[in-house]
Amino acid sequence: MNDVLAGLALTKRFGQTVALGGVDIAVRAAEAVAIMGPSGSGKSTLLHCLAGIMKPDDGEVHLLGQRIDAMGERERSALRRTRFGFVFQFGQLLPELPAEENVALPLMLGGVARAQAVRQAREWFGPLGLQGMETRRPGELSGGQAQRVAIARALVTKPAVVFADEPTGALDQSTGHDTMRLLVEATRANGASLIVVTHDPNVAAWCDRTVEVRDGKLLAGGVPA
Amino acid sequence: MNLELTWRLLKGGGRRGLLGTWLTLGAVAVSTALLLFAVTANFAFEDRGERGAWRNPVPAAQGQRAVAVEGTRLDYVRDRQIVIVDLAALGSSPPVPPGMPRFPAPGEAYFSPALAALAKQLPAAQLAGRFPAMTGVLGEEALVHPEELVAVVGQRPDAPVMTAPRGADDAPVRVADLAGEPSMDSQGYRILALIGSVLMVVPLLVFGGAAARLTVARRDQRLAALRLVGATPGQVVGMTVAEAVIVAFAGVLTGTVAYALALPLLTRIRMSGGPWFAADLWPDPPVLAATVVAVPLLVGLSAVAGLRRVVVSPLGVAKRETPPAMRFLRVLVLLAALAAFPLMGRDTGIAIIVAAIGLAFLSVNLVGPWVVALIGRITARGARGPARLLAGRRLVDDPRSAWRTVSGVALTGFVAGFLALLSPGVLTSDAVPGQLRVLVPEGSSATVAEHARDRLREAGVTATVKQSDDVVAVTVADRDDPATLDRGRTALAGLVPGRTATTGADDDHTGAQLLADIGVGTVVVLSVSFLVAIASAGITAASSILDRRQTYGLLRLAGTPLAVLDRARRAETLIPLTVMGGGSILVGAFCATPFMFGAPNANGLIMLLVCVGLGFAGVLAAGALSRPLLRAVTTDPAPRPD
Repeated sequence: MNDVLAGLALTKRFGQTVALGGVDIAVRAAEAVAIMGPSGSGKSTLLHCLAGIMKPDDGEVHLLGQRIDAMGERERSALRRTRFGFVFQFGQLLPELPAEENVALPLMLGGVARAQAVRQAREWFGPLGLQGMETRRPGELSGGQAQRVAIARALVTKPAVVFADEPTGALDQSTGHDTMRLLVEATRANGASLIVVTHDPNVAAWCDRTVEVRDGKLLAGGVPA
Repeated sequence: MNLELTWRLLKGGGRRGLLGTWLTLGAVAVSTALLLFAVTANFAFEDRGERGAWRNPVPAAQGQRAVAVEGTRLDYVRDRQIVIVDLAALGSSPPVPPGMPRFPAPGEAYFSPALAALAKQLPAAQLAGRFPAMTGVLGEEALVHPEELVAVVGQRPDAPVMTAPRGADDAPVRVADLAGEPSMDSQGYRILALIGSVLMVVPLLVFGGAAARLTVARRDQRLAALRLVGATPGQVVGMTVAEAVIVAFAGVLTGTVAYALALPLLTRIRMSGGPWFAADLWPDPPVLAATVVAVPLLVGLSAVAGLRRVVVSPLGVAKRETPPAMRFLRVLVLLAALAAFPLMGRDTGIAIIVAAIGLAFLSVNLVGPWVVALIGRITARGARGPARLLAGRRLVDDPRSAWRTVSGVALTGFVAGFLALLSPGVLTSDAVPGQLRVLVPEGSSATVAEHARDRLREAGVTATVKQSDDVVAVTVADRDDPATLDRGRTALAGLVPGRTATTGADDDHTGAQLLADIGVGTVVVLSVSFLVAIASAGITAASSILDRRQTYGLLRLAGTPLAVLDRARRAETLIPLTVMGGGSILVGAFCATPFMFGAPNANGLIMLLVCVGLGFAGVLAAGALSRPLLRAVTTDPAPRPD
């Protein structure tokens, strides 16, 4: 059992609608898993339950053996800040902060001094092909560059799991391809697991494993063989 | 077509879009109601001055035929002032005075309703005994305010009261008509009202402008998208103006209704010793029409100014480019405006003073965003924690928006600083309690004193009577009993024709009244300013959260504690508020320096401290009120751009 993150019999309802109907899923260390499915299938709800953003109505979520779905909002919030990283489709960078401060922000939130946080943040710019972009603001970056800054920000705290929700949804095919490559490589290089929600098979192809969600249930592949 | 699309955008804005619209409507309504008050107050003082003008007679010019002799004197009862107008007809067809059915015949007396009621309420020996029996009641057109005590007494032209020597200011004069002219006092009040209005109107206009931009802030993404799909700048401007004007028009109507509903309360504000006639405080049709037209127009113009970036570049909003830096020229404009003040004094023309104050006020508003951006840079550079860093960067990114949140309180700081130096102190009097003094013609003090003793004895008032060359002083035995004092006044009425026996407090009545009125005026101006400032802070804080809800939501998802977001938001407001509030107080005090009466007094400084405390507390409270909104927008589990 080297599962980093596991969801057991996860159920979530919104009124009469069953968004998740008893889903079992597990992710191993440094594994990249794609969650695929059409709109409204429940894939984003699954990601939110696994990331501690939303509490499931039934079922359990475990991170490195510790149950997290029973934690209070404050604890889950701290967990998201320290053990998880997030990459969204767009809008996650603060427009008023330069790129390096956007990356340094999670470290500062964790109590790291500003100078050190910015120094650590800058170390990510080279490997992600962002040299010279440190002081640019998000409005002055291309879509692909902004996503790479977001990847740096997700990884700067050395998280156990990175969650990516349609990370290439706003990018053209070539830029999306580069972004996924960097996301998967950087995550793996840091020993973190990656969970990507997407409806694009090309994106899913970058992952080690794909799980399909339909009508709140997994069709296959929820637990590694 | 544009109008139809605008209407659809307005209606289809969703719950949050509609919230923005409601906030704008509410802000315009508050602005309109207060604007009506600020503007109408001037006309109200003018109306008062004109209604009282007939009691301030103008001597007939050389060659003009005099139709009457008119004199005004002051008497007192229970510490309230009575205006007594003595009228004597010259010829057979004298003009009819305002509020009276005819010119009073000798021996007739007309009382104002308040005096009539008081005369009925008090024993005749305390009040009514001073006048002939009441013939009739004066109408409103003869009165400055509803509670004014006025007596119009008919006299013969050769009656002692009309001919006895008096001071140059209050001697009866032969008049060609009863129009008179507004008194110096009433003109002084009009000047104070005008200054008060300028101090209130500028923050109101700023608030209205902020409200208009709030509409634009809610829509700019959508309008930028319209530009991207090919809408012309003219179409975008047209739609923006149409939307802002529709909302503003509804706001103006709501504000007018709110003002009408508040009128009974407003008439109770006591000025010059009494409340107001409702008609005084209700705007004349031209004023009302101008407001209904001008406010939506100003809101529309303000909205256009806010949209400039969208119109110039459709990608401007969508890509969130770095805004252009503020120009230092703004500071130079303020310095130029302030440079005018040391050259002024109390003898400077009122139009110049009012224009200079207005200009200084607007300059503070102009320099505000520049200072906010500067503070932002300093804050961001020195920030160690995330909250201050976020606040500093946000201030640099959008100083205008941050200024809008605090501008109201900062501008109120200007008002408070200005008024703190102008607040007069307390009158000190060396008057002897219970002592009535009456001026007597030279050489007659012994006779007058003897008559006074006789009259007081007959009236049963125990008192000691002393005399000097030109004054007879009567000190009643029961000094603390107002009834005894008024019996003394009544007994001494007519002792010296044309003169009344007064206490030291009576002689200081006008000065004390002016001080009290400046106090009330200050409270009114500051209350209006604070109401606007705090409403402005609340609305802009809420709209700022709505505008940034996606960023806030994603930060929360990534584990940013709500407390950090809230601290950043608070710092974003309090840092510029501290600097600009303090700066505005100093600028306001500087502007008041040329018009100071002596050294600043404790009252002014206490008022200043209370203002600073209230301003900070109000802005903090307004910010705290929007915290649930912050919590609501950040608990949205899947924020999507809309």
